[in-house]
This record gives sequence, structure tokens and C-alpha cells, in this order.
Amino acid sequence: MVEGKPGNLLIRKLFRELWHHRAQMAAVAAVVACGIAVFVSMSSVRYSLEATRADYYSRYRFADVFMQVKRAPEYYRKTVERIPGVASVSTRIIADVTLDVPGLEEPATGRLISLPDYGDGPILNDLYIKSGRALQPGADDEVIASQPFLEANGLRPGDRLKAVINGHMKELRIVGMGLSPEYVYEVQPGAFFPDNEHFGVFWMGRRALESALDMSGAFNDLSLTLSHNGGEADVKGELDRLFKRYGSLGAYGRSDQLSNRFLSDEIKQVGIQITFLPSIFLAVGIFLINIVLARIVAVQRPEIAVLKAMGFSNRAVAIHYLFFALTPAVMGSIIGSVLGAWLGKGLMGIYADFYNFAHPLYYFRFQEVVISVILCVSSAMLGAFGAVRRVVQLPPAEAMRSEVPKMYRPGIFDRTELQKHIPVSLRIIVRNLERRPWKAALSVVMIASAVAILIAGRYSYDAVERMTEVEFTEKHREDLTLLFNDSMPVSVASTVGSYKGVLEHEYYRDEPVTLHYRHRSRRQTVRGLASEGGLQRLIDSHELPAEGLLMTTELARLLNVVRGDTVEVEFLLGSQNRRSVVVAGMLDEILGLSAYMDIKGLHRLAGDGGAVNGAFLRIDTSRAGALYSEFKSMPGVGGVMMLKALKKSFDDLIAESMLTSTLILTIFACVLAFAVIYNGARISLSERARELSSLRVLGLTKREISVILLGEQAVLTLLAIPPGFLAGIGLSVLLALSLSSELYRLPLVFSSYNFLFSFIVVVSVSLVSGFAIRRRLIRLDLIEVLKTRE
Amino acid sequence: MPEHEQSPLLRLSGVSKSYTMGEVVVDALKGVSLDIFSGELAVMLGASGSGKSTLLNIIGGLDVASGGEIFFHGKEMTAASELELTSYRRHAVGFVFQFYNLIASLTALENVQLVTEIADNPMPPEKALGLVGLESRMNHFPSQLSGGEQQRVAIARAVAKRPELLLCDEPTGALDFQTGKLVLEVLEKVNKELQTTVILITHNASIAGMADRVIRMRSGEVYEDHRNTQKRHPSELEW
Repeated sequence: MVEGKPGNLLIRKLFRELWHHRAQMAAVAAVVACGIAVFVSMSSVRYSLEATRADYYSRYRFADVFMQVKRAPEYYRKTVERIPGVASVSTRIIADVTLDVPGLEEPATGRLISLPDYGDGPILNDLYIKSGRALQPGADDEVIASQPFLEANGLRPGDRLKAVINGHMKELRIVGMGLSPEYVYEVQPGAFFPDNEHFGVFWMGRRALESALDMSGAFNDLSLTLSHNGGEADVKGELDRLFKRYGSLGAYGRSDQLSNRFLSDEIKQVGIQITFLPSIFLAVGIFLINIVLARIVAVQRPEIAVLKAMGFSNRAVAIHYLFFALTPAVMGSIIGSVLGAWLGKGLMGIYADFYNFAHPLYYFRFQEVVISVILCVSSAMLGAFGAVRRVVQLPPAEAMRSEVPKMYRPGIFDRTELQKHIPVSLRIIVRNLERRPWKAALSVVMIASAVAILIAGRYSYDAVERMTEVEFTEKHREDLTLLFNDSMPVSVASTVGSYKGVLEHEYYRDEPVTLHYRHRSRRQTVRGLASEGGLQRLIDSHELPAEGLLMTTELARLLNVVRGDTVEVEFLLGSQNRRSVVVAGMLDEILGLSAYMDIKGLHRLAGDGGAVNGAFLRIDTSRAGALYSEFKSMPGVGGVMMLKALKKSFDDLIAESMLTSTLILTIFACVLAFAVIYNGARISLSERARELSSLRVLGLTKREISVILLGEQAVLTLLAIPPGFLAGIGLSVLLALSLSSELYRLPLVFSSYNFLFSFIVVVSVSLVSGFAIRRRLIRLDLIEVLKTRE
Repeated sequence: MPEHEQSPLLRLSGVSKSYTMGEVVVDALKGVSLDIFSGELAVMLGASGSGKSTLLNIIGGLDVASGGEIFFHGKEMTAASELELTSYRRHAVGFVFQFYNLIASLTALENVQLVTEIADNPMPPEKALGLVGLESRMNHFPSQLSGGEQQRVAIARAVAKRPELLLCDEPTGALDFQTGKLVLEVLEKVNKELQTTVILITHNASIAGMADRVIRMRSGEVYEDHRNTQKRHPSELEW
């Protein structure tokens, strides 16, 4: 008898049988591993991003509250320091200037930021000097430039460039390459995407900048940190009160600081992906374990009986079969963790390229592995529950008998005329599907989830494509935008049109306001556009009304206004008028929150005779060079935004991360589809080996029996594709909703290419699994199968 | 039957078969030579392991011999390809097994149609079922039929293509005495009415009573091959 080492015997049985079922076990483990890989990589990336951000912000003293003013006396710093809740205050001078960068034909924009000269108070938003050196006190032409800008332009510390500061061309010497927590996401004001070639941040000595900008004894930027008990709202309120007369547009916290906002949104999005995909993969894993184990138990009924008859306890036998589920689950969680750690590191690398961290950290926490193993083990137990219960409930005597023969009765199909016209061999397929509709439905659901993941994976592609189309083509016909340093009277600005090579020009006005509606209010820029011009157009061919305000649906939602409501517009600069205006309509934009008015209507509303902040230009490309050099030295121009360069930089930047994530999703969806289809066919093969052998004996060729077996899988796959498409759309909608923020909303667009791609991928995967099964079908031992009783 | 004036339907000459079972080589057939003539009802007797099933499988093209030669209608089958063997099974041979091997998802009629759809000159499936006395149960699924009925469907399926050779492997092995005899009667009828050559293997010596010819096997060899001079109707058999 087996007394003494019964456990060992069962373990040996387990290992041999696991090996025998290795392909199926591997398929289950692969599905689990994909889910865990996403879970672990996304958890690690989220944690790493949070940790990197926290480390960066605290090491380099990223401020808590920010404010820009026109010009305020320096002594106000002391006043601010005395505000309760304020820990330390830093004042700066910041100016955007036009740059002439060696090797770059077009003008670039530089944001000059003052660094306190030695001993001049605490440094907030400090600089990490990656290479080169710090500024020499007293040197008035030295700058430290941001790393992305230098790298994009192939410049190094030691190189020089020219800037037009306050109307004077000045040569600047780059002495260092730096990074700051304030510009983790380095974008030009007014842009949404970085264009590192044409926009860079430069740090310069305070005194040098003071004298260049005539800002002696004054500042135009203030940032502060809060003490532990400092209330942000109170401090902001106090700042607004103090600095309103100095042209403050309002103080704002970290949550509204552009760079931090982008980064925080990104971290939030990563967080969403931690649960999204892994749940789908684990759910499919549970189903797969369920059907695989159910089949193993069905085939092993006599063995279960023998084990029980020999005296193995129910518990021992149940645990034995439970291990068939636990083994692939645990293997999957370990492989998934390793894969996830690796993927996470790679993804973090991509994030570190996108976001400019001084010290990107990658953390892989053991905790994630533990959670993964727990998740997988519980999923496996859930999946195994039914089959293991059957093992326990099986009385030894009954188990010795073979399973109840398959019952078939005429079904719906048999009542149709159709059945008479299809060959008998194909009727087998229909009857099998009809006999166990739940099993078929389950397979369809699982294959459909693979299709859905493929669709959702490609959806982001389509969404970004649409975003590019709208933002770079539909809305804009201009080649470049000139950004003025200060708002200019229309009469002054009109010289722009007189330059040779400017084919069309059109001014716009960006007016910082606060919109009030009932108890809600919101700081917002209202853009005035020429209604008859058409260089910049509104999305979906919206027309600008002569009077009234157009706003994006998202902004309307935040203010709780609908078309026809009257909002109060409080101008923050100049006249500081507060006027009523009717909401004339809404539009669905992709990026940001916007409000538009006809430029003349805006002038009237402001009551200041009209001022403009920039111009859109369409230029004769053959004269571009000459025009660019004009712009480089044009006074009053704070920057130039090149649409094409912006698009190229966006494409390059997005392409890499998009390609990677779509590739990963595609591979994972393929694994899922393969595992489901292959396992389905393997189980069918096991269930029907005898039937298929009989058919071979009757003289059906290998091809003919392959059609019967694989035809069933093909029908299931084809049935799964339409619901898969629908589920994919649903999944994409969920993704779009959860990934959308105030900064951008993913448009819901699906290209036919997306569906075609998903269709081709799923069909190819089922062909591959079909070939894998056909190999087994060909090796079917006719004699062996037929001699035995089922 | 004047056997010497007729060339055999099937000629086996020195047919051998060895298997490797794990690390052991088993000689299942050791040079069997045998001629089977058209229209014969041959019963092959032998204990379990005597090699009779192996021989039947080789004759039926389910398995290939390790040595020797097999001719069907004078055409050598020994070197036939997989595809030729399939075609041979498809057109020339009918099989009846101990465990029926019907397709559970097809009705009795459809099980027969499965064969008539792919054969060259089949009889109408209804006629085949009539031959085995199952016209009234045509639209039943196997799970709705008794064992004997299932075996008769299997026979109908095997003969519907009008095979020249009907191979039966323990066709009564899973049936009770009465039902078994009923099945044997059907086989006898097929042999008589359709002139189909029948080779029936069994370990039940009583069945030899219905044969034209009795072949006895032991340890992979034919040790006795004689004509049955007192052929009896299956209903007269006892065991």
C-alpha cells in the first residue's frame, strides 16, 4: 500500500501530468503573466513616478504657490513672508524672448528666469546643474540652459546664442545645462506639446536680468512654500488682494502649475491602467483555468476513483487537483512580475524621456510581487472551484464508471430548413455549439475580450491621429504665430502685415478674465479671433457670433452654464471691467478649456479701444529665411511658435510611447486570443478524439476532420469578432472617459483600419493555434482511441 | 466455393508487425500469409493478444505492416501512402467496432449519410438502415438508442458505401446474448444479400459456427485455417 509516502506519489503524478498538459498550462500561465506584467509594470511606474516627483520637488524646493504680476516692488517680499502660513518666499524676474540659435534658421523662444545672486534669499524652484557650472556672480551674459533645449539643438555648455532682450540683441554664453522641477514638462506658454528645438528655459543672474529688463528693485514672478499648517486658499486670497493692483492674474497652487498638472494627470492615468487591463486578463485566466481543469477532472474520473478507493482523503485529492490550477497561476504571477519589472523599467525610461527629471528613479517593490501572487492564487482558486468540488463530490464507485454519454436532442437548428442543405460533417459543428451554448458563449466572450483589447490598443492611435489632425490642420492654416511680449495697440501691431513674404496675417487677443456664473467662477483666457479671417478656425466649422461668447463644453460644464445663459466677465488687466455677456454656443475641443469671442466684440467688452497679443501668419516659404531673421530681432516679440515644428516634435514624442504601448497591448491581446482559442481547440480535441478517429476510419481525410474540429473554433472566433468590436468601442469609451482631464479629452474616433487590424490579428492568431492543433490531430492514434471505451 | 479458380480479393504474404512498447519490442504478427476470397464470411478466432486485431487493422488500412506484402485486388498495398490508405478506407472497406463509435451529435440517418456523402456509389442511407431493421429509428440520436441498435446503425453505416470488405472487430463484445445474435444475423444478411466479404474477429468460438471459413490465431501466427462445412444460421448459435 502507499502508506508512508502517499503525498510523494501524488506529487509525482502532479508533475508528470502538468508536463503532459504543458501547452495548456503554458497558455494559462501566459494569460496570467500578461495581466500581472501590466499590473506590476504600471504599479511600479506609478510608484516610481510619484517617488521621483516627490524626491525632485523636495530636493529642489518646488514651490507650493505661484503668481505672476506685471511688476511689483521687491519690498513686497517681506510683506508676503509675513502672511500666516507662508514658509519661504522667492521673487523672480521672468521674460520670454526671441532667440537666434546657431544652426536654427527659424527663431526660437527662450524663457529667461532670474536666479538670485549669492546671498539673496532662499532659492525655491532650484536648479539641478547636470553639466557645466553655476553662474558666476556679476557675469551679465552667462546663462544656464535647460537640458531638453540644448539636446534638441545639439548645443553644449560653452556655446553661445543671441537673444533679443527688451529690444536689444544680446549674446549669451551657455555655461551650464540644468533642469528644474518647475519644468518637468517643458512647454511654451500657449502650447500643449513640447517643442524642445524652438523653446527652452534659461536661468540668468538676477542683476543681469534686472538691468537688461529695467526691472531694478522689482519682480514679476513670485513663488512660495507653505508651512505645515499653511492653508493654500488663505494665502492665495491674501496674495490676490495684495497684488491685484500690480497686474496679478491670480495666485495658483501646484495643482494649476502647468508642468505639475501634466505630470499629475499622467500619474493618474497610469493609476487607471493598473486595474483596467489586469482585471480583464485575470478574468479570462479564471475562465481558462475553469475549463481546463474541468476537462482534466472529467478525463481522470477513473483515476480519482482509484485514488479515493486506495484511501486518499477527499482533501488530499482535492488539493492535488487544485495544484493543476495553482501551478500555472503562480508561474504566471512570477513570470508576469519579472516581465512587469522589465517593462516597468523600460516604460519609466520612456517617461523619463518625456518628462525632464533630474534623477529619475525606478522602484520595483517586492510588495507588488506579493500582491500579484495573492491575486493569482485567489483567481486560480476561484477558477478551480467548480472542478475541485466535483472531485470531492464524486463517490469512488461512480467515478469508476465513465461519464454520462453526451446527450443530443434535436435543437433549434434541426427545425430549420437550412440544416438540410449543409453537409453532415458540418452539422456536427452546429450541434456541438448548440448542445453546450454556455461553453460556446464563454469562449466567444473570451475571444471577444482579446478583440476588445486590440481595438482599445489601436484606439489611442486613432484618437491621437484625430487630435493631430484637429490641432495641427483643421484649426490652423497659419505657418507660425508671433507672440507679443505685451499686448499692443492694433495700430502698432499692424506693421507685421507689411513685411515682404507675409501672405496673410490675422491678430488675436488673449484676455485673462474671471468668468462668473452664480456662485461659480473660473479664471480663464478669452481669445478674440477675427471672425472673417480664417487663419485660425474653430473646430467643426463653428462660426464666431458677432456678440456673445463661445466656450468649450467642458468649461461650460465646470461653470454649469448652458447656451443662452448670461455670464459675468471680469477683466483682470487694464480696465478691470466687469461686464455681462451671453453664452452664444458651445464647442467640443480636444485640448484645454477655451472661450472665444469675435475680436471686435472683445475689444468692445474690454472697453479699451483694442489691443492684441499676437498674430497668426501665413508666409511665402521662399522668403521664410529673410522673414525669420526679421522676427529674430523684432522688438516686442516674445516668441514664435512654429506649427510644423510643433507637429513634428509631437509626432516624434508621441510616436515612441504610442508605438510601445500599442505593441505591448497587441502582443498581450495575441497571447490572450491564442490561449483561449488554443485551449478551446485542445479541449475539443480531447473530448472528441474518439469521434474524430471514427471519422478517419470511415475514410474522411485529415483535412476533412480538421475542418470539423477547427471549424468549430473558426465559428466561435467569427462569432466573437462583432461583439469584440462593440466591447472594444465600449472599452475605448471607458478609457477615454477615465483618461480625459481638463488638459485634454480623447476624441472618440475609430478608423476602419483599427477594425481591420484587429480582425486580421485575431484571425491570424486563430490560424496559428489551428496549425498547432492540426499537428496533434494528424498524430491521432486511430487504433488506440477506438479500442477503448469512452 | 471454388476458391482455386478465383484470384483472391485480399492476399497477405509473410505479413509481420512489431511494436515498440516503451523499451520493449513486441512482435504482434510473425509472418502471416492468408488469401481472402470475394464473398467469404471469415471468422478469425484467437485469445486476447493473439494478433487478430493487429491483423484486422492492417487489412483495413488503419495500420501498416512492418514486413511482408499485402495485395488488394492484386494491387500492392504495403507501400500505400497515407492518402491512398484513406481512399481505400473511404471506398473499399467498412468497419464495425466493439464500441460502435457513432457520432453522438448526429442522428442514425446522419451517421449513415456521413459515409454516403463521400462514397462513390453508395446505397440510399434509408435503405442501409432498412437493411438492419432500423427504418423507424432513423431520426434518433445515439444516446436515444440501445446498444444493439447502435451497433446496427454502425453496420448500416459500414455497408452503405457498398464496400467490398466488411471488417468487424468483436461486434458483439459489448452486447448481451440476444442482442448479439441479432447483430450477427444482420452481418450474415449483408454477406448474403450484398455479397460483401466479411471478416469478423472474436474470441467467442461459438460464432465460428456461422462462418464459411474459420481462421485461428495464436501468438501472432495463423495456426489453423479451415472451411466450415456445417455452416449455421446465427439464430442457431449458442454461447
